[in-house]
Amino acid sequence: LAFTDILIFLGYVLTPISTFFCILYGILNWNKGV
Amino acid sequence: MLYLITFTLIYLAITIYLSYLGFRKTISVSDYLLAGRQVHPVIMSLSYGSTYISTSAIIGFGGISALYGFTMSWLAFLNIFVGVWLAFVLFGKRTRKMGKALDAHTFPELLGRRYNSRFIQGFSGFIILFFMPFYTSAILISISRFIEVYLKVPFTTAFLVFLLINACYVIWGGLKGVLYTSVFQGAIMVVVMVVVGITTYASAGGVINAHRELMSLTEIIPKELIINGHRGFISFPEMGSPVWWTVITTFILGVGIGVLGQPQLNVRFMTLKSDRELNRSIPFTALYILLTTGIAFAVGVITNLMFYKHLKILSIEAVAGNVDKIIPLYIDKFYPQWFVAIFLVTLMAAAMSANSAQFHALGASLSRDIFEQALLKGKSVAETTIITRVGIVFSIFATLILGLTMPEGTVAKATAFFFGLCGSTFVPTYFFGLYWKRATKTAAKASILTGFFSFLFWTIFFHESESKLLGICRLLFGKDTLGGHPFNVIDPQIFALPVSCIVFVVLSFFTKPVDEGVLKKAFRHI
Repeated sequence: LAFTDILIFLGYVLTPISTFFCILYGILNWNKGV
Repeated sequence: MLYLITFTLIYLAITIYLSYLGFRKTISVSDYLLAGRQVHPVIMSLSYGSTYISTSAIIGFGGISALYGFTMSWLAFLNIFVGVWLAFVLFGKRTRKMGKALDAHTFPELLGRRYNSRFIQGFSGFIILFFMPFYTSAILISISRFIEVYLKVPFTTAFLVFLLINACYVIWGGLKGVLYTSVFQGAIMVVVMVVVGITTYASAGGVINAHRELMSLTEIIPKELIINGHRGFISFPEMGSPVWWTVITTFILGVGIGVLGQPQLNVRFMTLKSDRELNRSIPFTALYILLTTGIAFAVGVITNLMFYKHLKILSIEAVAGNVDKIIPLYIDKFYPQWFVAIFLVTLMAAAMSANSAQFHALGASLSRDIFEQALLKGKSVAETTIITRVGIVFSIFATLILGLTMPEGTVAKATAFFFGLCGSTFVPTYFFGLYWKRATKTAAKASILTGFFSFLFWTIFFHESESKLLGICRLLFGKDTLGGHPFNVIDPQIFALPVSCIVFVVLSFFTKPVDEGVLKKAFRHI
């Protein structure tokens, strides 16, 4: 794989991962903050 | 046409009813500007998402994706990681607490009260009032391009009619009306974008097949793009090439970082009553962004495949170079008429939800930040709501002038311009104000002024896509830009944001700290 292909692949992968991360953060902190 | 009239009437009836509900519950100034600080997390996430993701993201950036390929998936990542997680956790929580402690109702008011400076509030309000119309007009141009393609009416007519509909909707009711309707509008957007995403990939033969076929289109990419560094729709542009600098610094970083300084988004954090609501908003907002921008960018790239299959040309050639027409033409050409009508209503929802929040921020900037604070020296007057509406009317006229004079294909550029300007001007002052008690009033003033003027300086004299258009550089120096490659393609924010950051930190160490009483009050809940 060329470096530019790896960058594209990272773009594909990081988008759903960051969404999952946000969902996980919300669940873990669901009752925190009052 | 019958479909369009039916769907539009149903949509407008629901929107007007929800606006009326919000209008009835708007009693105080806090209700008008902050929806009473009691907003439900799902309402918050959908209203934040639908304000953030407008027609500009779907039409403008969808078109840019069609031109530059899947490199734009990095913007979808930044939209979620920076625009949701960092914005909510790093900025949102402290914004909510400090906003409450300082009784701030607008983003400039938060900055002004944190640094105990009327100038900061007034000048920030001035920037919003005079520069946000670039973004509001980009949103209206997007939907007007769709109406132009679908109904075959002149762009100017489409623009004027939709601006009028939007103006009537915005002037009536405060943020509660905006919040209720943006939930409805946000829900429509998610459903329709998911349908568009699934059907597009299905028509292209599935995810794997679509991406494989996109690779074969590299050979027919226009020569000019290849010379400038384009390496295909599923490859990153050549490192350091003009296309690489433009895509990375303007479209990905410009919007990806600039989102943190968006006044109409930051004010949303002040509508929540506790951090718990903010924590609960994060998953819904992230999902919303994924299902709207993620799909819009992917569909944008796949349109090349669809146009090539049926017309043997790429998307950019099908629209004669106007990227803003790619998504409208794709939907109009490959979907049944009833769905095209639904998509137009979806764009209407996207434009109205984002525009209403912007016009709302614009009106508040004139009444609360410029009129009350800068001109009346903090004296509260009963005419605030009237002046807010005067501000909205002024911004509608500014939007009208810009929308009709900006050149074709500038939706994404105008959006990136405003995001970059806000990032350079506000982000250092905003971030240090929330986290650093040593941050001083002088440093904040200098940073805001430095960020603002250095961004404009780079725009006028270096960044060729704007400097050429403005013509000031040519008038003074006889050439379109003062910098050769790569300076002529590096986004102004890349220069202005670090400069305003450095100015802020250095000056904070050498100037008088903010009054202890003000600091105590600002950080009382933190």
